Amino acid sequence: MTGVLHMVDPVFVGLAVMTIGSAIIALETKELIYGAIGLAISMMGIAGFFLLLDAPFVAMFQIAVYVGAVAVLIIFTVMLVRTQALFTTKEDRKRKGAGIALLLFIMGGAGAVLLSSSLNMQNSFTAPPVDFMAIGQEMLTYYAPVLIVLGLTLAGSVIAALALARREDVEQQNDRTN
Amino acid sequence: MASYTESFRFGEFVGSVLWLIFWVVIIFSMVGLPLLFVVLFYVPLPPMGDEVLTPYLFLTMVVDPTRTVPIIKYMIHTDLFRVTAFPGFTYAALLAAVTIYFERKFLAKMQLRIGPLYVGKIEGWLQLMADGLKLISKEIIVPSGADKPIFWAAPIAFVATAAATTALIPVAPGWVVADIDVGMIAVFAIFGFFPLIALLFSWASNSKYPFIGGLRALHQIIAFEIPFIISALSVVILAGSLNLTDITNSQINSYWFVFFLPISAFVFYISSLAELERIPFDLPEAESEIVAGWITETSGMIYGLIQLGTYLKLYALAALFVVFFLGGWSGPVIFPAEIMPGYTGEKIYNPVTLSAAFWFTIKTFGMIVLLLLPRGISPRIRIDILLHTGWYKLIVLAFINMFIALALIYGGILGPGGLLVR
Repeated sequence: MTGVLHMVDPVFVGLAVMTIGSAIIALETKELIYGAIGLAISMMGIAGFFLLLDAPFVAMFQIAVYVGAVAVLIIFTVMLVRTQALFTTKEDRKRKGAGIALLLFIMGGAGAVLLSSSLNMQNSFTAPPVDFMAIGQEMLTYYAPVLIVLGLTLAGSVIAALALARREDVEQQNDRTN
Repeated sequence: MASYTESFRFGEFVGSVLWLIFWVVIIFSMVGLPLLFVVLFYVPLPPMGDEVLTPYLFLTMVVDPTRTVPIIKYMIHTDLFRVTAFPGFTYAALLAAVTIYFERKFLAKMQLRIGPLYVGKIEGWLQLMADGLKLISKEIIVPSGADKPIFWAAPIAFVATAAATTALIPVAPGWVVADIDVGMIAVFAIFGFFPLIALLFSWASNSKYPFIGGLRALHQIIAFEIPFIISALSVVILAGSLNLTDITNSQINSYWFVFFLPISAFVFYISSLAELERIPFDLPEAESEIVAGWITETSGMIYGLIQLGTYLKLYALAALFVVFFLGGWSGPVIFPAEIMPGYTGEKIYNPVTLSAAFWFTIKTFGMIVLLLLPRGISPRIRIDILLHTGWYKLIVLAFINMFIALALIYGGILGPGGLLVR
């Protein structure tokens, strides 16, 4: 056990520094583009954490969805927006201090809750791994109605999105004829 | 015509070369040789496989090269060799280099031109080296007002991303850099970086043509990403695995998936063309409309790196097509069992691996030629037709073949214990 921990530790620390550092850059930098890139790097760090937790499937989807789609969307939006219009208020020292105090309070609270929960016990790591086949069977038998409702909701929202996009298209055509 | 400077004398040129050789010899014998002996006798050398590399063994190797065979045996089974040489970078880059030369000659023959002719006497086969030398010696111009960190980082990230894809491709049984269980998802996760890099680079160039090209690249690649993934999903349904090695093995156990999934193969091929920004989908680089698209401001080796990345990506996509639809490395063993009579060449020579790599290379090169072919015969299409094709037609086609794949599985024809599984 200690051998494994020794192997993982530097990687974990590196990933933590990368994730938190780029998150701070994403918040603090004046250049919006660098902020968006920092967000993308931070999301890649989270994917690295999933890899460390032996969940490569989740890690790959984290990269594909968050870096490949969400970050691109944010960068695309940032490029098309005038940055000067966004930052009119100046930051003062009191607000910064209050923000840091609030963050420390929330982190401390969350840490205390986690430490007192059953996650902290030793045997939570020796529990049998989750059986994905069993999850799939449950989804298709006992939870089938929930699955259908979810599917219908998603289909409804996709159709609604298509309808909205379509109407805008018609209005644009009308504008052009006027 | 190029002219020499007035003070040029051929004798001086020869003299300067001789002077350089003199200094190299002096420095090597005064510094290099003592340093070599200090390293050999005072630094403990690493064990190479079975043998411990002693200074005496090293010096015998210099005299008798056959003594290096065990070291070579050890080296070609290390991870370093895999990453740098065979299934990794060198192999892919060599194929990419052959592709660049072949593309120019092939297109020239298609259009009744001559193509590269002079460099290297025979059909201009050294043209690529000449181009490389030219690119290395050219000045790199960074546009004024460009975002320097992104401008420098994006081409390197482009090559690195393309090279990362090649690490996931199995070339022969057991010969893959990273054999991971979620290989197919990983490939598409890595491909998701390309629009990001193109967009950032086009923005960092601080010029309007690159930015238009970058926006076009973004729209195009995202529109074709979805049919791309869905067409590969029907392969996953038939193979029952996301691991690329397992996908190849399941095709060896039944038949090539292109016979069951011709529509998926077609969608994958069209989406690959769009992903590669090749004609007829080269809108991001449309040279008659927006100069050179998102690579307008590139010069020198920055252009060279982006071209290298593009051709590595071409190799990766052709190799993925082979892995998904054409049975990967499957094919008869054509090399003899013994490298020469009485010597099997254990650990260096393996006929099964060699013929697997041979078939894989042949199939991949055939696929590359198929991907090059439209450039000679097809005009560029309009952007609204392109997006319409991606979003409306290809997605539907890919779904049709997915249902065929499901029917094959549930009908007991393929899948575990199916009719056509050998």
